[in-house]
Amino acid sequence: MLVLRPVELTDLPQLQRLARESLVGVTSLPDDSERLRDKILDSCTSFEQTVQNPGPENYFFVLEDSTTRHLAGCSEIVATAGFSEPFYSLRNRHFNSASRELNIEHGVPALSLCHDLSGHTLLRGFHIDPTLVRTAYCELLSRARLLFIAAHPPRFADAVISEIVGLSSDDGHSPFWDAVGKHFFDLPYVEAERLCGLESRGFLAELMPQYPIYVPMLPQAAQDCIGQIHPDGQVAFDILQREGFQTNSYVDLFDGGPTLHARTRSIRCIEHSRIAEVRTGSSIDARGRYLVSNDSLQNYRAIVAELDYTTGQPVTLDAAICAALKVHEGSLIRLIAL
Amino acid sequence: MIVRPVQVTDLPALLALVRQAGRLTSLPTSEERLNHRLRWAQRTFAEQVERADADYLFVLEDDDRQVLGVSALTGAVGLREPWYNYRVGLTVSSSADLGIERHIPTLFLNNEMTGQSELRSLFLRPDKRQGSHGRLLSLGRLLFVAEFAHLFGDKLIAELPGRTDEQGCSAFWDSVGRHFFKMDFNHANHLSGLGNKSFIAELMPRQPLYACLLTEQAQAVIGKPHPKAEQALKILSAEGFAHKGYIDIFDAGPVIEAPVSSIRIVRDSQLLELAIAPPDDQAPVWLIHNRRLENCRITATAARQVGDRLIVDRFTAKRLQLQPGDLVRAVPLHPRQPQAVAA
Repeated sequence: MLVLRPVELTDLPQLQRLARESLVGVTSLPDDSERLRDKILDSCTSFEQTVQNPGPENYFFVLEDSTTRHLAGCSEIVATAGFSEPFYSLRNRHFNSASRELNIEHGVPALSLCHDLSGHTLLRGFHIDPTLVRTAYCELLSRARLLFIAAHPPRFADAVISEIVGLSSDDGHSPFWDAVGKHFFDLPYVEAERLCGLESRGFLAELMPQYPIYVPMLPQAAQDCIGQIHPDGQVAFDILQREGFQTNSYVDLFDGGPTLHARTRSIRCIEHSRIAEVRTGSSIDARGRYLVSNDSLQNYRAIVAELDYTTGQPVTLDAAICAALKVHEGSLIRLIAL
Repeated sequence: MIVRPVQVTDLPALLALVRQAGRLTSLPTSEERLNHRLRWAQRTFAEQVERADADYLFVLEDDDRQVLGVSALTGAVGLREPWYNYRVGLTVSSSADLGIERHIPTLFLNNEMTGQSELRSLFLRPDKRQGSHGRLLSLGRLLFVAEFAHLFGDKLIAELPGRTDEQGCSAFWDSVGRHFFKMDFNHANHLSGLGNKSFIAELMPRQPLYACLLTEQAQAVIGKPHPKAEQALKILSAEGFAHKGYIDIFDAGPVIEAPVSSIRIVRDSQLLELAIAPPDDQAPVWLIHNRRLENCRITATAARQVGDRLIVDRFTAKRLQLQPGDLVRAVPLHPRQPQAVAA
């Protein structure tokens, strides 16, 4: 059974493998054991701490095969984007100009550096074994984070965002980067993304263009990247969109990829997930597939399960599921239909 | 050959000239507009308009009263409506930690030339471009400024046309202005030439532009004069004009400038008493102004300075509408030419 749980220090070797496999642009996964170790320790601390308001916490989850102990994916929640340093984005907005005399009126879109998204809760670091893409486990890996937020609302902000990786070629060229970032950073795209994984993004502040970039002045290939998703990011995008996330005027400053945004309380997993009491036994007549979580903190677990559930009624879980979720007769679980 | 203020009766001759020049001058090719401009220039020379509106229009006329060329000088730019240029500045993108240091030329929109006086609209008939005619027509304006400095700004500027292709298209316009104006360069330039500059204020991007984000072709023409303007650039450079990084917002042609007090013609010009005698063979060419405003006459001719006197032939005095003993403002036409040593 594939179970989602908080990361542990013993996961380090397998996480390094995942980091190597993950797509360039998923910048939160550095292929560097020291950094990954720090990341894991940060996450452990975050799960342990008592938190009243969202702060610098970083919740890192892994998807584990409970039999083989193989890690099939990972995902992450940053409680507060830009907590210790600004979280930069490019805001795409129209600069309107009008001439009554010439009877011309039009808007010219321009990208401006901003940290408007600082303070939001950020979903990132999503990576799954390619064989599991478009399965229920892909949903689990992404949405279990939302169920976790639903279980611990004081730990998170009123709005949640996620940056979806933008277009780049197989050989690591991003037309957007080549037209914009490269001029200011003098680095290849892959190297810039690698640095972002290693270092804080703070170094960007020193180098990023402070004046707006007028979109029509960019080469067509770069313009075409604005708000576009890398094919490998499509699944993550689609899942969040079904959860009620929407794109807005913010794009990533490296690859031009879109940012998804949602009010926390109106996210589907948060608004529509239900709490049910556990009955142990064998589920006789499974009627649907659900994402199920235990609402715990350090012992947080989430799985995909076939259940017979009626709103307002207790739900019967078999022994294997109870073990995976670390629950017993009378425990409360959270669930939402897949 | 003289330079004098334009008159209303010059209209037919000037119209023919302007139509021959095409886009090379900012003068209107419509008879009605040109006529209006001539009347305005006449009022300017009569001191009936404020400096903000002053438009000094000169013609080059030969001894047969044929108009051969035209040049203009404004009292001040930007005092009636905003005057825009880009300044080519620098943005440094640097990170010591990463060992990155990028120098990025950046174009800053500005109104810094506001209140300065502009040399413009120079055109000389192609068949008359020999001898000193071009210099007389262009530099005569500088001698005029030397005499009437109080009518002008602290600096003189000239916007030289930028590089365009055979069809008159500007790579800079295509990379910048086109996106904001949604019209082609010739149309925009035409509107601008008609004095219709306020639309620039309304439509131009307010924020600085990183030059590295322009097309390579556009970057290549920033601050580069059109080949046809190179002679004008050479002449004015020798007088102390220099490109200090300001460019035209349409075609990125250089704006050259000089503080009035440091222009050679202004600095070196002297008040001398006119004397008449046959000039000697080695006499250098002088630029001579009769020191009048409305009846301004400027000529370039062989002359010899002797003490406080400038010796010219009698035709020159006649062209200047002066008598022996009258004071003229004069300066050798060519820079660095050895001057006659005062006795």
